[in-house]
Order: sequence, then C-alpha cells, then structure tokens
Amino acid sequence: MTEIDVTRADTSIATRIQAYAGATAMVAVSTLVGLWIAPRWGTAPVDMIYLPSVLAAAALWGLGPAVVAGIAAALAYNFFFTAPIHTFQMDRVTDVVTVAVLLIVALVTSKLAAGIRSQARIAEAHAARNATIGGFAGKLLSLSREAEIAEAACTELHRLFDCNAILVSGLPEPRMIAAVPAGNRLTPSDVAAAALTLESGERAGRGTNRSQPAEWVFSPVRSSAAVIAAAGLARDDGHIPVDDEQLPLLENLLDQLALALERVRAEADVREVSSLRERDRLRSALLSSVGHDLRTPLTAIIGAAAELRCDDSNGPALVATLETEAGKLERYISNLLDMARIEAGAVKLRTEPVDLVDAVAAALKDLRTTLAERRVEVELPSDLHLVRADPQLLHHSLINLIDNASRHSQPNGAICISGTNAKGEVRLTIEDEGPGLPQETERPLDTFMRIEGSDRKGGTGLGLAIVKAFTEAMGAKVTAANRDGERGSVFTIRFPQLLVIEPMESADAG
Amino acid sequence: MPARAQKILIVDDEPQIRILLKATLGRAGYIVVEAANAREALSAKAIDKPDVVLLDLGLPDRDGLELVELLRGDPRSALIVVSARDQTEQKVAALDLGADDYVTKPFDTEELLARVRASLRQRLASETERQVVVAGAITIDLLERAVRRNGNEVHVTPKEWNLLAELAKHPGRVLTHETLLRSVWGPAQVGQTEYLRVAIRSLRQKVEVEPSQPRLIVNEPGVGYRLMPNEP
Repeated sequence: MTEIDVTRADTSIATRIQAYAGATAMVAVSTLVGLWIAPRWGTAPVDMIYLPSVLAAAALWGLGPAVVAGIAAALAYNFFFTAPIHTFQMDRVTDVVTVAVLLIVALVTSKLAAGIRSQARIAEAHAARNATIGGFAGKLLSLSREAEIAEAACTELHRLFDCNAILVSGLPEPRMIAAVPAGNRLTPSDVAAAALTLESGERAGRGTNRSQPAEWVFSPVRSSAAVIAAAGLARDDGHIPVDDEQLPLLENLLDQLALALERVRAEADVREVSSLRERDRLRSALLSSVGHDLRTPLTAIIGAAAELRCDDSNGPALVATLETEAGKLERYISNLLDMARIEAGAVKLRTEPVDLVDAVAAALKDLRTTLAERRVEVELPSDLHLVRADPQLLHHSLINLIDNASRHSQPNGAICISGTNAKGEVRLTIEDEGPGLPQETERPLDTFMRIEGSDRKGGTGLGLAIVKAFTEAMGAKVTAANRDGERGSVFTIRFPQLLVIEPMESADAG
Repeated sequence: MPARAQKILIVDDEPQIRILLKATLGRAGYIVVEAANAREALSAKAIDKPDVVLLDLGLPDRDGLELVELLRGDPRSALIVVSARDQTEQKVAALDLGADDYVTKPFDTEELLARVRASLRQRLASETERQVVVAGAITIDLLERAVRRNGNEVHVTPKEWNLLAELAKHPGRVLTHETLLRSVWGPAQVGQTEYLRVAIRSLRQKVEVEPSQPRLIVNEPGVGYRLMPNEP
C-alpha cells in the first residue's frame, strides 16, 4: 500500500523561505546577464531576460515567490536599465509597459502553475487514499468472522492513524468487540460517548461537541440500515487522533468496515436459513418414511404370525421372517430415536480413544442376522492408529453404513470393510458390490441421498442422514463414491489428523 | 445342567416381558420367580433367595440404580441389569455400583442365557475349573500364570498377562474400562483408555485367530471388554 501523508500540504517555513530566496536569486542572475548584454546590444532584449525567471518562479514555487520575482524583476529592470539609470524613475511609456507585463506574467503563470500543482496533489492524494481504502477493504474481504474483521480493522486504524483503536457495539450497554493494542480500557464517560455514537450515528467524545470529558473519540460504523458499531480512537499523549482533514478518510474506512460486517452477517443469515430449510426437508422426509418403513415390516410380522396360527408347516421360514422383520423394526426405531436426538440438538459427545477393530467387530455382531447371507471381509491393519471418537455415535454410524451396504448387495455379495492410515488421517471404508451411486465423483455424504431416491431396497432412508450427523458431530467426515472401475459404492469415514492418536512412545501399555 | 435347578428372579413391570423371560428361562431349566416392581423385588430377594436377579432399570416405583445398590454385594446371588439400548452411561453406572453384567433390550435370547450362565459359572465352578479358563484354542492357567494355544505356550508381557488374567477371573462377564485400568495399571491411570486399547490390541495379536475380527476378547462400545470362554 502506498504510504503517503495524503492530507497535509507541505507548508513548512523553511521551504517557504527557500522559495522566496530562490526567486530573488533568479532575478539577480537575470540582472547580471542583462548588465552583460546591455553595453553590447542595448537594453531592448533585457526585459526578455527577466521573463524566464518570473515564469520559473511561478511554475516552481507558486504565487508568492512569483509575485516577489515579478516585482524584483520590474524594480531591477527599472533601476539598472531604464533611463534615468540607477533611479526608480521611468521616462518612457515602453518601460512602464515592460514592468506591468512582467508583473502580469508573474500573476497569470503562477496562478496556472498553482492550479496544475494543486490538481496533481489532489490526484496523488486521491490515489493514495483509494489505495489505503482499497487495501483496508481487501484485508477485511478475506475474513469471514465478525471478531476477525473487528480485530483486523482495529489493527489497520491503529497503523494508519498511529493511535489506539477499539471497536464497540451493543446498546444499551456498549461492549468492546476488538481493541488494538489489546487491553485498552474505557472510562464511564467513554462508554457514554460510545453509546451516544451508537444511538445517534454522530461522532462523539474527545474533540467533538458531544461528551467531551471522554478520552476517546467515537465515529459511527454505519450500514445501510443502522449504526452497527462505533470505532473509538485515542492517542496516549492525549492529542486529538484524527484532524478534520483526515476525517473523510476515516469515514471511508469505516464505510468499508460496515460493508464487511454486513457481509458476514448476511452470510450467517444465509447459513441459518439453509440449515432451517434442511431441517424442514429432513422432517418431511422423516414423516413420509415412517409410513413406509414401519408398515412394511409390521405387515410381514402380522402376516407371518397369522399364518403360523393357521398352519405351522412352514414354521421355520415364517419364524425367520418374524425375526428379520422385527430386527428391521428395531433398527428403524433406533434410527428414529437417533434422528429425534439430532433434531433436538441433544447429541452429546463422549469421546475416548477408540480402536476401530473394536468398533467394527461390535457393529458386525449387532448386524449378524442381517449379514448371515453376506460375505464380509475385514481388513484392519495391526498398526491402524487409534482415533478419538464417541463409541456410541460411531457404533450407530457403522451399523447404518454396513446395513446400507448389505441392503444394496446381492446374496453372497461381498462387503469389504477396511482401514488405512493415510497422510495423517485415518480412513475407514465400507465397500459393497451393489449397483453403486448415481454420481460420477466422490463427494461428501448427502443427507438426502437415500431419502429422495427410490426406496425399493427397504432402506430406512434415515440411516445415511444419521451417519452424516453423527460423524460430523465427532469432527470426522463421510464421503461417498463409486468403486474404481467396478460395480458398487464406497463410503469412507475420514478421521482428520486432529482425531488421530499417534502410537505411544512409552512402554506403559506393554 | 447342575444338580439343583438354579432360581432366577425376574424384575420387570411389563407382563409381556415376564411371560417371555419365564418361557425362555424355564425352557433352559431354571426356576423363575417374578416381581413387577421394586417392593416385590426386595421381598422376593429375601424370601426366595434367587441365584440370579434380572433387574430392569426402568421400574415405576424406584430408581433402577438405587435398587442396584440394594441388591448388589450378595455373593449368593448375581445381579444382571436389563436396560434399554443407548443408555451406555446407565449401564456403566450400574456396573460400577456392583452389578455383575447387563443385557440390552431388545435382547437376544442366546445372549441372555449366556450372561446368566456366565454369572452363575463362577459360583458353581470348582476350584480347578476357576483356575483354568479356556477360550477358543487358548488356555489361561491362572495358577501357573501361563497362556497356551493348543498346548504351546504363548509369550505375553507382564501387563498383558495382568490384563488377560483380570478378564479370565470373570469369564463371560463384562469388565468396564475403568475396572480394567484400575486393576492393571493402578488407580492413577483410570483415565488412560489409550493404554487399555493398545494392550488389548497386542494381546489380540497373540491370542486371536484373526486379530482384526476378534472372537475371544470382545468389546462393548463405550462400556468395556469381555472374555468369551468356551461353554462347558
């Protein structure tokens, strides 16, 4: 970012004195040249000799030095070159005209030059200010949390204006949301000034005509609709941190801050709306699945029981139906309860180091009736890292994933469960040889993957939604893909590095 | 089947469940006594002196865990808790209070009978039966402090032995993570589930046929481990 003091013209006294001295010196040089020319070619060209000095003074230093140069040139011309020589009297009209012309040239040129110079300075100041504002906005743009934005804004204000910066919001009791340097404190009159700014949208505090006892001066951070915060600035030496010339820049910066804060709030709103919408969809999918998934097994159970009462020649087969269908009901009810817990936000995490060998074995044991006609291959290497997980949530996730794989497999189709340590994370994959997924690439598990699809396989539909919710609650992720070059789908639970427990170095366990 | 029929007290407020349990346990040769609430349970316990109490934790007249405290600690009768699925914390609490084991509703009949047998086994077993536990092809000799697979000695580290012995002293019964950590690593290490996981894994490498699909040392998610003995 360009670092230019964009508001203060360079007006130090030393520079001014230099300018006037320079103007006078140039006239003196012109006079010397004139004195050299006059004895040889007469005084006629001499007036022209002064012209460059006056023009140069006007162009370089502006009106004051130019007028001084013009007057000095006129006086010198009059004194040295017009009759009577060595007096300030003028006999000829042409000499009067020459003096007048020199003065006019000085005035006009300096005016023009000053105009151009001030435009250049304004353009430069604009560019610098735009760069400052652009840089500020750019820094805020990359941030996505309100607290981060507030902190970054304070850091920038602190740097640009070389003062302490805080951001305050909330009425009726304003609260500091960021401060640079950290640890800034507000007196009660500062809090009152901040409240005033938040209420009225006007500046308040030190150096303004509102709440003057305050040490800080507060400026409003305004969105299109309301004052969303107040930015407070103060200097340790008690000086007013931002003078009137810098005020427009500060206001521009605060407008950028307001935009950034509004953007983040809008994003949060969108997220909330979409999560509400997802919950609505989930709820209606849930209701429609109850009808199907409760009735189907119940119909089978009632029918099998009635058949058994009338004629028990098919006894073993009917009893097997009773058992299978009751098992389905049991799992469905368990899923309904899980879903209700997710819906109510009542999923409690109780994580502990878990061996995936235990988790897989426990899930397979609970599913043993379902898996009776499936080939299950388990490939869990003996160096597979432990992961931090909630044993119950993981158990239910695995039951649903393996049950899902089983439902989509042919009798005697293989289900392969394998674990790997991969680039710091631990992956657990469940593969089936079923028809696969209606998608091309691997992607995160979709809550509605089964619910919205046809449910001919008798799936509860809730299973994958529960897997997604439970694994995410634990900080893991599930992805779904098709098998490479073969029929079937692959579901992968990925435990990120954060949840992976590296092997212990000590021999405490041995 | 032992010479004297064992007596089992069923405590459950649901008549349907009592009918089912009575049929299942009766068929297996046990004498069944019923109680529908905590009051009946306490009096049946005193009068009938059951060998095993099957206690449902969700009784109408008293908190299930309170009843566990009243019924436990009687060496003449084992206590098996019956609870709904997903109440891991309640199961662990009941075990910590002194219950011998638990089954989850809806229960698998075979599993229920296995739990009952395991809880009776220790009290019925002779001294020698108690000192040598057989699980799969593995023989754990508590007296000689030796592990053998098909007669050949399997080398285990001292920690692994302590862990295996602790499990073998209660064959078929679940031991909570806390119980195992306390008795093998000491009270200071009770929170170090990781130690237990690592030791179980290396033990499985030595005793299981397929360590990634354990059959002998099985885990109850969030609760603990169980050594599955061969049924006599």
